[in-house]
Amino acid sequence: MKDIVKITASLTGICIAAAIILGVVFANTERARKQTEEKMTEETIQGLLGFGHGKKAPEDLKVFPVHRYVLNDASGATLLGYVLPLKEKGYVLGEIDLSGKPGKVLPLTVEPAALADASKRDAAVKAALPKGYKATYASTVYIADLGGKRLGYVVPGVTQGFKTFIQLMVSLDPKFTVTGVAIIESKEDPGLGAEIQQDFFRNQFVGKTQDVLKNLKVVKEPLPEDYLPALEPEKAKRLGGLGPDKIKEIKKKHLKDDIYALTGATISSRAVTNGVKDTVRKFVYRIEILSDAVKQQNIQVAF
Amino acid sequence: MNRNLQLVWNGFIPENPIFRLALSLCPAVAVTTSVKNGLMLGIAVLFVQVMSSCTASLFKSVIHPRIRIPAYVIIIATWVSVIDMILPVVSPAVYNEIKLFIALIVVFAIIISRMELFASKEPILPTFFDGVGMGIGFLFGLCLTAAIRELFGSGQLFGFDVLGFKPLLIMILPAGGFFVIGFIMATFNWIEYMRTGKLPRAAGGH
Repeated sequence: MKDIVKITASLTGICIAAAIILGVVFANTERARKQTEEKMTEETIQGLLGFGHGKKAPEDLKVFPVHRYVLNDASGATLLGYVLPLKEKGYVLGEIDLSGKPGKVLPLTVEPAALADASKRDAAVKAALPKGYKATYASTVYIADLGGKRLGYVVPGVTQGFKTFIQLMVSLDPKFTVTGVAIIESKEDPGLGAEIQQDFFRNQFVGKTQDVLKNLKVVKEPLPEDYLPALEPEKAKRLGGLGPDKIKEIKKKHLKDDIYALTGATISSRAVTNGVKDTVRKFVYRIEILSDAVKQQNIQVAF
Repeated sequence: MNRNLQLVWNGFIPENPIFRLALSLCPAVAVTTSVKNGLMLGIAVLFVQVMSSCTASLFKSVIHPRIRIPAYVIIIATWVSVIDMILPVVSPAVYNEIKLFIALIVVFAIIISRMELFASKEPILPTFFDGVGMGIGFLFGLCLTAAIRELFGSGQLFGFDVLGFKPLLIMILPAGGFFVIGFIMATFNWIEYMRTGKLPRAAGGH
């Protein structure tokens, strides 16, 4: 009897000590970790828009995050709410119902810096809504303008990978052609599925138009020999390979090709391909409805 | 030789975790597809092994013998979580490379077996050197396996093209991992046999 008390006390003590250590470390690192994460997201977005790798983003590049919320009003009906930046200062929350009809436009009182913080943003959205509404954060897309003209979109997406989710980002040009794919987070097997991070895999999506994407499949064939250097321009340049014209030509030749699966990681390859297709399809659908709604309601949006 | 140095050497070759103790083979096969992966995981294991062993040795009088296994698991998990939280702040670039492996370390047999066999009986200084030795031995094992697999499987070393072609694709697949580890183990035994004329004692684990 005495033994069991001793053991229980000792085990409880160890657990509490571990919990205290973890708590202290977490409290001290959480803020810095969040900041690094935000910075990395920003870098990824700029990289996808073509300004990474030491190329500095021009001054007139503006990236506008547009946050999407799922709203439930008092009767339980579901609406969508978009946090939109205005041309003049400030933000509004635009409501759109599920059939695509624009609803109310509510003013949002929030500082731009606070919008980046998830909990502050949630609170601001909640404050703007009438009583009885519930708001759930859904996703954020980034709309990029360069010198007042639309440069493209960066859209995050999630897909089911080999073991767990793969988070990715797709950048699109104004005509919804893929200009880049980045893997934000994945837990695929190192050496096999984790190869989805490689340039030669991700760059296979670049240049695929909406029509090509619709019927895009994964084929279990080796990557054609001439295609590889075009997919790894940095590496090819180091080896003194192809000029930009040649790369363009090769890419054009293989534009309609399906995605070549990674050796030993067909499931991961398929997952990314489906993820990209889904992300683009949903985004194109949503952005069309959103821009219609913005036009109908005559909201002076910044982008 | 000094006992501490002896302990480091002991973990490096005579009781190499992978080739001799045959512990933690599962991760050893899974991640050794490239030298870089092997090196990264090796460094992470080295760190966790030293820290966990030293903690266990420091608190061995407090830990009730009946609950030492759960206590060790908590110690390892705590250290792994601490690294998982501190590393992205200290060096995000390294964390990005290594984060896949950090969570795996909690379940490594080699770490808990060293805590049970060594750290629970010895004072902190020899424990430290034992941890270093075992960690280096594991790192060496991973790098050697990975180098062979990467060279034959993808014709590269450290991500740089060496051969320019891929001689044996099977080496990069899980089956190749077993082959390579088996061959290296056999080589180790053969060298031991040639030197001493005795077959090494059997070892086993998972």
